[in-house]
Amino acid sequence: MEYAYLAAGIVFGLGAFGAGIGNGLIFSKTVEGISRQPELRGALTATAFIGVGLVEAMPIISLVLAFMWAR
Amino acid sequence: MDHLAPILNLGGFRLDLSALFMIVLSSVLVFVLARLAVRNLSVENPGKLQNFLEWVVDFVKGIIGQTMDYKKGAPYLALGVTLIMYIFVSNMLGLPFGVVSEAHDAEHATFLGMQLFVEGNPEHLAFTWWKSPTADASMTMALALIVIVLSHVQGLRKNTKHYLKHYTHNPNIVFFPLHLIEIVSKPLTLGLRLFGNIFAGEVMIGVILGMGFIGIPAMMLWLGFSIFVGAIQSFVFTMLTMVYISQAIVHEEDH
Repeated sequence: MEYAYLAAGIVFGLGAFGAGIGNGLIFSKTVEGISRQPELRGALTATAFIGVGLVEAMPIISLVLAFMWAR
Repeated sequence: MDHLAPILNLGGFRLDLSALFMIVLSSVLVFVLARLAVRNLSVENPGKLQNFLEWVVDFVKGIIGQTMDYKKGAPYLALGVTLIMYIFVSNMLGLPFGVVSEAHDAEHATFLGMQLFVEGNPEHLAFTWWKSPTADASMTMALALIVIVLSHVQGLRKNTKHYLKHYTHNPNIVFFPLHLIEIVSKPLTLGLRLFGNIFAGEVMIGVILGMGFIGIPAMMLWLGFSIFVGAIQSFVFTMLTMVYISQAIVHEEDH
């Protein structure tokens, strides 16, 4: 039975869900921090993108797995 | 179309030739870049490359200063500069173009007379010879293992008592299984994060290429995003390196 495509879809779908929520939390706190102290905009944005690089690690690994299974 | 990697089968040990060539190429490129930047060093009148390298060294000094006291972390400045320059150049290498060779079937797939390894017997084979070295999982896991083994060894050498107490007394022996999991997951996530980002970027480049002319604006956007992701991932790798090393060697203040 062709469960490989279904597995790839589920794995990456859940990974994208987690990535969306994680990035949304990061950027909501960043926008709140910028609104409190507008002069720290550069530092806060840089830290936000570093956080995105860390949060997206697991969803990217799930993407690689999905590519491996859906060949 | 599925592009295969040109793998040589040396008695069971499978060597990926394209990864080998690209690793050598990126090493040579970073070495040439660094050597050109330190020619004719001058304090009053720095050239552009010297300025750029000074900026990189300052940047890594800032990263080390964020995670540990800079006097303890000064020996790791060379490691940090090497990591960030090497990973950044490696991430950028796979973006401009690709080199693909074709073979009729599995028997004609040779390189300088040596047979390339192909599973099964598909009809039309295509091998890619140019890719980012960091798009190969073995390369990124090797980098992660170097860094993690370094942190363990330095922790054992410099900070032996506190480093070993950190596993059982942090804050209770109940947490010991979590520390065991941490020993496994740190190198895994460090290496796979870099591999996944760059490899997924290259697969997406291949997908957009298959879209034809409509994909030209999509390709411009995706290449720009890939440059951004490559820079961010090199920075994240270097910063996590310094964080793990500081966790291993700077323990006196906690206890």
